[in-house]
Amino acid sequence: MGLEELAESLGQNVLTTTLGKVVGWGRGNSVWPAQFGLACCAIEMIATATAGVDIARFGSEAMRASPRQSDLLIVSGRVSQKMAPVLRTVFDQMPEPKWVISMGACASTGGVFNNYALLQGVDKIVPVDVYIPGCPPRPEDLLNALMILQERIKAQGIQPRQ
Amino acid sequence: MSTPEGVTIVKTGEKGHFGGEILTVNFGPHHPSTHGVLRLIVDLDGEMIRGIKPVIGYLHTGIEKQMEALRWQQGVVVTDRHDYLSPPINNLAYALAVERLMGVEVPPRADALRVIMSELTRLSSHLVWMGTSGLELGAMSMLMYCFRERDTILDMNEEISGFRMHTSYIRPGGVFADATPRFLEMLDKFIGEMPGHIDEYEDLLTMNPIWRARTIGIGRLSPEDAKVLGATGPMLRGSGVAWDLRKTMPYSGYENYDFEVATSNDCDCYGRYLVRIREMREAVKILRQALDRLPDGPVNVDDRKMLPPPREELETSMEAVIHHFKLFTEGYSVPAGDVYVAVESGRGENGCYIVSDGTHKPRRVKFRAASFANLQALERMALNHMVADMIAIIGTADTVLGDVDR
Amino acid sequence: MISDQLIIDRGVSAGDEWITVPAESVHEALAALRSDGYRLLTFLTCVDHLADHSREWPFRFEIVYQLRNLETREQLRVRTFIDGDPPRIDSVHDLFPPANWDERETYDLFGVVFNDHPDLSRILMPDDWVGHPLRRDYPVGGETVEFSEEHERWQTAPDEA
Repeated sequence: MGLEELAESLGQNVLTTTLGKVVGWGRGNSVWPAQFGLACCAIEMIATATAGVDIARFGSEAMRASPRQSDLLIVSGRVSQKMAPVLRTVFDQMPEPKWVISMGACASTGGVFNNYALLQGVDKIVPVDVYIPGCPPRPEDLLNALMILQERIKAQGIQPRQ
Repeated sequence: MSTPEGVTIVKTGEKGHFGGEILTVNFGPHHPSTHGVLRLIVDLDGEMIRGIKPVIGYLHTGIEKQMEALRWQQGVVVTDRHDYLSPPINNLAYALAVERLMGVEVPPRADALRVIMSELTRLSSHLVWMGTSGLELGAMSMLMYCFRERDTILDMNEEISGFRMHTSYIRPGGVFADATPRFLEMLDKFIGEMPGHIDEYEDLLTMNPIWRARTIGIGRLSPEDAKVLGATGPMLRGSGVAWDLRKTMPYSGYENYDFEVATSNDCDCYGRYLVRIREMREAVKILRQALDRLPDGPVNVDDRKMLPPPREELETSMEAVIHHFKLFTEGYSVPAGDVYVAVESGRGENGCYIVSDGTHKPRRVKFRAASFANLQALERMALNHMVADMIAIIGTADTVLGDVDR
Repeated sequence: MISDQLIIDRGVSAGDEWITVPAESVHEALAALRSDGYRLLTFLTCVDHLADHSREWPFRFEIVYQLRNLETREQLRVRTFIDGDPPRIDSVHDLFPPANWDERETYDLFGVVFNDHPDLSRILMPDDWVGHPLRRDYPVGGETVEFSEEHERWQTAPDEA
């Protein structure tokens, strides 16, 4: 086989890209959320996993019961002062790289409950990548947030988190 | 107090019946099958539960304090969110309490719409319960079927109130708005289809050997215990006590509907499942009657001191503008006094105790949460069962942690 | 039968019957009512009457017991007034098992101490929390809302302003 023929056959079978793009593509399309439901939004999170909305189209149907196996923490609902240390522990147990979606008004800002019992925004204890407004947001909103997150993960590639 | 006869509680380190030591194990608050953020401290003798202590408060939202800081009509929004699987029923308890203190009667059409929303909510609440409990006991397809119908109900919520879950539809003085023709069409179609869907769920579960093996004889609660422990709703009716507030202490015109109180004498998890299935069938019956006999007329009381004037009046009447301005800057005040109103939610007695000091904000609002009392019966039900059965027991108790912790 | 000597006052509020009993004999009164058929304690709670000028209150804290007779479907509200630091009252968990958690909740949120309660500890708030949030002199808390006069009043205690 001559060199020219070899180059031609490689061109038909091999794709060239950067390592970052491959890793980002792989990570972005298999984001596994932790199964961590808190309040009302958790019901809509479950609804996102059912046949009508079907989060499996985006590779995120594998809700892991153990934080050790998950990449994404969906904070679905209000976080009380008593729950805050638990939430932080769950987040700390997740392996890098990891992302956080703050689902709904309560998780993002405290929502309608501006009082002593609730953490006024989960971003006080964990870094949040995507905020979703709504009380609770529709399942489609969660899908949209996941798509935004996927774009970010793909753009991030193998760069460590800033 | 709630230890059954003949059971001795043993502590960590003591010798168990199977040769090993008693082990204290922590479940939760982040555990996939504890229905939210419930934490349990369980004493285990091998696989057997010898002691169980729920630790709650991980979803304490300060709702009762928040209500004291909000005006009477603003509080409706907060009531939606304590038992987040049955928002309109929470609204109803609060609205009825405020109306009782003010001495206001809502028009018949509002009552009928309230009944329709309550029954739709009961259906969606039971559907969520059945889907998630099925998921926990291994019947995963239940989730897909149940959430399909739940979505239909939420679409109807959206049509009538503009919001999927937390509708704030039922308010003191009536309801948010009249039902649209499209809502009534959707409801008619839904009532026609729902009995077939309930048959479908029964095909999947009622005679399913795995479901039966995991629920029959599990989590027994005798009628006497259920009454003494303050259990209400399907927990009480699943123990054979025909106590349903819609029949025993009717509100919103429930006495005019023909329906039966679903009970089961099984006294176990399977009995509670049967009660919920029957309740869903009865709810469809009530919906049919309510829709067929829906009276005409206004949906709000005609009281400008309590509810804002209609939009058209604002352009022509100075008085209407003043009323509107006063209502939205100051709110209305409720005569001093206290009242307790209880309604039947999907979980049991959902009560609202209100104390007014005559100002435009409540002095105290206490929600009597059905799950809070039902969860106390957990110890009685779970002792001497296997750890895996505990999941079935918590599942059929149908605790909503938002309701427990408020 | 509950003896008339135990009843200080009785009345009807918005259709609900109520009686007032002295705080020191609340256990005795509830035991008598329980043997009269009021076997279910629907709920137990506390109302803080700090700076409530709408009516005359003997003491600051009002403990409310809502009882129900499952046979006759009658309801009765039993009130009693206490004061002190901390306010103290007898526990009724031995008469009505659901009172166990209700009393813990009242202790947690109002700081009312129930004598002879088997496990009087915080139930809703974290164990190391300071203060009793549902008291009227405890601020609502949360974050300041810009341009909201009302919320500034929440930051301080609502009834001291």
